Amino acid sequence: MKAVHSQHVSLQGAAFWKAENKGLAEPRGSKALGESAERSSKHNRQIAMAIPYWEQWREAAHQIKRYAIDHLDDLLVQFEKNLIARGCTVLWAKDAAEANQHLLNIVKEHNVKTVVKSKSMVSEEMEVNHVLASVGVKALETDLGEFLVQLAGQRPTHIVTPALHLSASDVGRLFAEKLGEPYTAEHEKLTDIARRHLRQEYLRADMGISGCNFGLADTGAICIVENEGNAGLSISAPPVHVALIGIEKVIPSIEYLPQFLNLLGRSGTGQKLTTYTHIVHGATPGRKFYVILIDNGRSNVLKDPAARTALFCIRCGACLNACPVYRRVGGWAYGWVYPGPIGSILTPHLVGFDKAGKLPFASSLCGACGEVCPVKIDIPHQLVHLRHRAVNTRSPVRSPLERLIWNAWAWAMRGPLRYQLTMGFVRLGVRLAKFLPFHPAQLGAWTRGRELPLVPSTTFRSWWRRHGKRFEQPAG
Amino acid sequence: MNSRDIILQRIRENLGPRKEEAPPPVPTVWPRSSVDRATLARRFAEELQAVHGQAVLCPSWDAACQDFQRLVRDSGWQQGVVMDRPEAWRLASGVSGFQAFQVSENPPPRDMEPVPVSILAADWLLADTGSAVVICNQPGERLACYLPPACVIVATADKLREHLPAAWEEIVPLARQPERRGEFVIITGPSRTADIEKILILGVHGPKRLIVYVVGE
Repeated sequence: MKAVHSQHVSLQGAAFWKAENKGLAEPRGSKALGESAERSSKHNRQIAMAIPYWEQWREAAHQIKRYAIDHLDDLLVQFEKNLIARGCTVLWAKDAAEANQHLLNIVKEHNVKTVVKSKSMVSEEMEVNHVLASVGVKALETDLGEFLVQLAGQRPTHIVTPALHLSASDVGRLFAEKLGEPYTAEHEKLTDIARRHLRQEYLRADMGISGCNFGLADTGAICIVENEGNAGLSISAPPVHVALIGIEKVIPSIEYLPQFLNLLGRSGTGQKLTTYTHIVHGATPGRKFYVILIDNGRSNVLKDPAARTALFCIRCGACLNACPVYRRVGGWAYGWVYPGPIGSILTPHLVGFDKAGKLPFASSLCGACGEVCPVKIDIPHQLVHLRHRAVNTRSPVRSPLERLIWNAWAWAMRGPLRYQLTMGFVRLGVRLAKFLPFHPAQLGAWTRGRELPLVPSTTFRSWWRRHGKRFEQPAG
Repeated sequence: MNSRDIILQRIRENLGPRKEEAPPPVPTVWPRSSVDRATLARRFAEELQAVHGQAVLCPSWDAACQDFQRLVRDSGWQQGVVMDRPEAWRLASGVSGFQAFQVSENPPPRDMEPVPVSILAADWLLADTGSAVVICNQPGERLACYLPPACVIVATADKLREHLPAAWEEIVPLARQPERRGEFVIITGPSRTADIEKILILGVHGPKRLIVYVVGE
């Protein structure tokens, strides 16, 4: 197999507006993504509506997650104790840098040269592939979508289907260019090519990396769900398995698992159960099993009680598919690992409001995300709450220009004369703006795809002064 | 202070004081109903077919072995790896022209790579989803679930349960055993992907074919 081009993409927080325009400049990708996401959303909603217990399931899952987050410290200690009892090595990481250091230590200890990796969102936070490449370790994504994205030197555009933006012909060209395969756009042949190339990688890999969907505190087991079998191979073929686990993934007991498995399959991919559900109980004889428990900003979320439900997320991607903004702009526009509505409420906590304070504004607040969330995260209210926080803390939406505009607006709204005077200037401004040779800054961004509104010849107030008498009710 | 203590301290500080509370009750998920075994078997076969797997309902071991022999012949399999469970051996042994190897404890993956089929035994079958729950205690057994291009699973009909929550009552005590190692894998159909334009393709990494034998009335 040819070497995979491991282009590093720096993830420096979410500059939504800048990236949004980039996403819009790719109409084909965006269209494919939008249509697929909408179709998935409709399909999954139909499935949910056909289940009489759906709302009970959501409520039960919400309560279990609420309990888990409220007792996170105790559950993590219990989880660690039970993992160790099953022969697992448990490491803790405050942030991505420390998690990567742990990973590099494991690589060194076991003389690892090649790694196969199944899908893990926390590994995207850590930029694991880039870090491993920097020490000469070849890390290969094995989930088909992630593999395509890695080959293309891009980033995932969706939590569940990372290459939703690539067409079959894009993939055919990619395989021709990077793997030297004859061009084809047939789905079956493309999948076979990926199977053939990746199969050899599983067999020779020194280490497998996985994420984790649920950490089961009472048994010290981890649960991973998938459809392709790549996670199964990545965690069972190599002699070393490292599971990267965000601390919020712990649930109190294995007894709760069927509840989440029923919700996750249906919300993520419209399946009753995903093809493979792995419940891994520690290290099998002759193998090494490491768990790295990663905070990386998650404990910050706990500080704000109104925001804690963001940590309930089970990464099904339902809110992305339901979101009209996501469907239009795609995943990259959100500038970091988590796109869509869940990204808009998670990312500001994880990377800071100074970098991602604009994300909660990337929503029409239509409420679709909250309706489809299988663990009942009230995403629309979270978005409003975070908007409030963003304008009251150091963030891009608290810029001097924003403040100037809002102060001017507040001044204008304090009396009818001020209001009339201001509106007079606005009307004049809109009339004159079309004569400007170019539209600067935000005005330019707004008018790039829209016409300026036509200003009526008269205001409502002056119209009412002339005609309002007609509408007055006779006395008595 | 090490990272563990720092993280736990951060969590405790940020969560603040909490009230004592009992964990939420375990949800029922799906109600239990008394369904006869024949209905469960039929439902299992339909559900497995819906996810592109194949169920073979056999009234006896003789019928199962005969059908397996036909399957081996039609598929051109000359060898297979067999999980060390009586049901798996009962199905796989005695097929002429077919070499059945026991899954070794910790095999190099390359050794299993050329093998065209694995024969596994399921501990439970879930009718509502067409799933098989397989307990793998060793690395070789885990690999046998995913590496060969075809996977045959066998179970007696008394292993049929209505759905996952019904089987869970029996799975949980086993999962809680302190000496438990390895993996419980719930297999629902052959390996699949829809990562390219949401078009479903079978067998992207794991087995392309999944055949489940349900033996007995």
